[in-house]
Amino acid sequence: MTHVQVFYLSYMFSELRRRRGRTILTALGLAVGVALVVTVNALSKGLDNAQAEVLKPLTGVGTDLSVSRPLQLSTSSGGPFGNLSPQERARLRSENGGARVGLENLGTPGSHFSRDTFASASQLTFASTRVKSIASFAGVKSAAGGLTLAAVHLEGTVPQQTQQRQFGPPGGGQGGPRNIDVQAITVSGVDQTHPGLGAVTSGQLARGRYFSRTTKREAILNISYAQRKGIKLGTTITLGGKKFTVIGFAKTPLGGQASDVYVKLRQLQALSGRAGRINTVYVRATSSDQVASVTAAIKSSFDGASVTTATDLANRVSGSLVDAKNLTGKLGTALEIVGLLGAFLIASLLTLSSVTKRVRELGTLKALGWRQSLVVRQVTGESLIQGLIGGIAGVALGLGAAALIGAFAPTLKATVAQAATQTAGAGPGPGGFAAFGQGTVQAGSTAVSLGAPVGLGLILLAVALALAGGLLSGAVGGLRAARLRPAEALRHID
Amino acid sequence: MPELTVQPLFELHGVSRVYGNGAREVRAVDAIDMQIDPGEFLVVAGPSGSGKTTLLQLLGALDRPTEGEILFEGRDLAALPDGELTQLRLETIGFVFQQFNLIPTLTARQNVEVALAPQGLPGSEREHRASELLDAVGLGPRGAHLPSELSGGEQQRVAIARALANRPRVLLADEPTGNLDSATGDEIIRLLRSISDQQGQAVVLITHDASIAARAGRVVRMQDGRLLLPAPVADLTEATPL
Repeated sequence: MTHVQVFYLSYMFSELRRRRGRTILTALGLAVGVALVVTVNALSKGLDNAQAEVLKPLTGVGTDLSVSRPLQLSTSSGGPFGNLSPQERARLRSENGGARVGLENLGTPGSHFSRDTFASASQLTFASTRVKSIASFAGVKSAAGGLTLAAVHLEGTVPQQTQQRQFGPPGGGQGGPRNIDVQAITVSGVDQTHPGLGAVTSGQLARGRYFSRTTKREAILNISYAQRKGIKLGTTITLGGKKFTVIGFAKTPLGGQASDVYVKLRQLQALSGRAGRINTVYVRATSSDQVASVTAAIKSSFDGASVTTATDLANRVSGSLVDAKNLTGKLGTALEIVGLLGAFLIASLLTLSSVTKRVRELGTLKALGWRQSLVVRQVTGESLIQGLIGGIAGVALGLGAAALIGAFAPTLKATVAQAATQTAGAGPGPGGFAAFGQGTVQAGSTAVSLGAPVGLGLILLAVALALAGGLLSGAVGGLRAARLRPAEALRHID
Repeated sequence: MPELTVQPLFELHGVSRVYGNGAREVRAVDAIDMQIDPGEFLVVAGPSGSGKTTLLQLLGALDRPTEGEILFEGRDLAALPDGELTQLRLETIGFVFQQFNLIPTLTARQNVEVALAPQGLPGSEREHRASELLDAVGLGPRGAHLPSELSGGEQQRVAIARALANRPRVLLADEPTGNLDSATGDEIIRLLRSISDQQGQAVVLITHDASIAARAGRVVRMQDGRLLLPAPVADLTEATPL
């Protein structure tokens, strides 16, 4: 900066000092506008964060899409499964038929028995090679297969009776004998080579650790299931006659697709007689704007596929969180615009009136040989400095407001509706049978506390807006100054 | 030096400045022919509203005539674009105003620097020159004071120092003593006179004060926008009030 510019600058500052009231008023106007922007944006960011917190478990950490193949009952000719090929029908029969239990086959009457059967009623399985083909689509970052099954655990004494009775998960209306304990749990097989993608992710663990890459039999339990059953970390559970060491507890996320037990995919496939079969593909897109095209590509290449995206899940969230978000989205933006326009208008009018009050001074400068551009620069420069002061004050105000929001941290409620598509076709009645297939989306409410984070980008935006306000008012004032004819300006009586 | 070879500083030929039009037309300056020589101390006298200030603004290239031509050192001011008129004002013309027109937020020395800054002088040189100019008008020790801390006479001295900043060829003073008591006004006129004598600057001073007119080298009288015939100084002095 040259000495001459230092002179102009000190002239600007001394002018602003002299018109202190006006300077403060202009800067304050801009500051309020800018503070509004900072506060509303911070609030909006806070709400985004709160929503993300609610949605994170919905989608699994980083899962953008999940692909499954729900069983669609056909009403056309050919019976309820008319839309399936003969092979698929055969597979469906073999996969679900296993749950049919002939009590007399379990042993001699009076002897103890324990048996696990696996069913995948509402979700058709498909070959795990599908993961590879989906992973090869453009826009797909990674994909992992999963198998979620309903395990029915039967334990008790073989009854003394001659009449042959049967019961199984879908048709067990009349119930079983009283001396037989029936438990249904959902079990998910997780591809442990993708710890960030699957029915349970490492990020969802409340305690313990994620699966090792070995072939050890390890299980992660849903924390509320474990609490209900009194199962502790490090103990073992029996599944399909095999013992699994409990290595971790996963949170029950609101809206999350929760299973009771998670084991390694291969082990579940082997236990359930579904080697090489999966019923869900978890997909992560390279970016959020790829989700739609990936969804379309999967649907067109994979007959009968149902694709659930994070957005579908987000749409099921309601409650005060969403109300607040809508409010900030609409009212907040309106408030920002009105606040900023108001601030710009005030700054412009004050600058204009300041120029009008300084007509003779500006005329004198012109008479002394100040070029037009120099006079305009002087007026605009003063406004810019005001803008800068306003911007800094506005950021301070905004930070204060954001800090206040953070300090009070109002609690917002988020409610997730039951996912109709997920439970359609699932088994009847209360209890675990509703959890057939992919596991349920947990319905209910959760409370998140609201913060208002202010990032560097927002601060820069705020200062830039205030400078823009200063520049605008400076341009208005500068134009007025430029139009002054020196002869008339000098005649002006203050 | 024979008088004929000297190029006049100003030559005015049929210069008029008309405001408004039709029935509302005001001829503030009406068909003036005159010549001002380099180094001359000219007083333009006349009652208020006689068009003195308009004439001064035309001379100072702050305004353009509606009719006629003004030649400054042979150049037709009407033909020059605004930018060149600005440059001309910066380099060759100094203004002194009745209200002093100092910038209230700047010190005496900074006020002088206001006229020096557009020349792009380095800071130290600019400050040195400003101090020199303040010394020349007898205000050397008062350079750091704001206008509000100075008396009227001192403020007008600062304004004169500012007008002299770029060594102009002519000082145009519009009622420079109008806001001063007579003793102070007298000092100001003496200062202007001595500057003109020592540095060879022409001074065109407008006033309605007959006693000031008495100190002039030449006096022209204006009335209703027209120049009256040059009157001998003695006649003017007796013809109070103007």
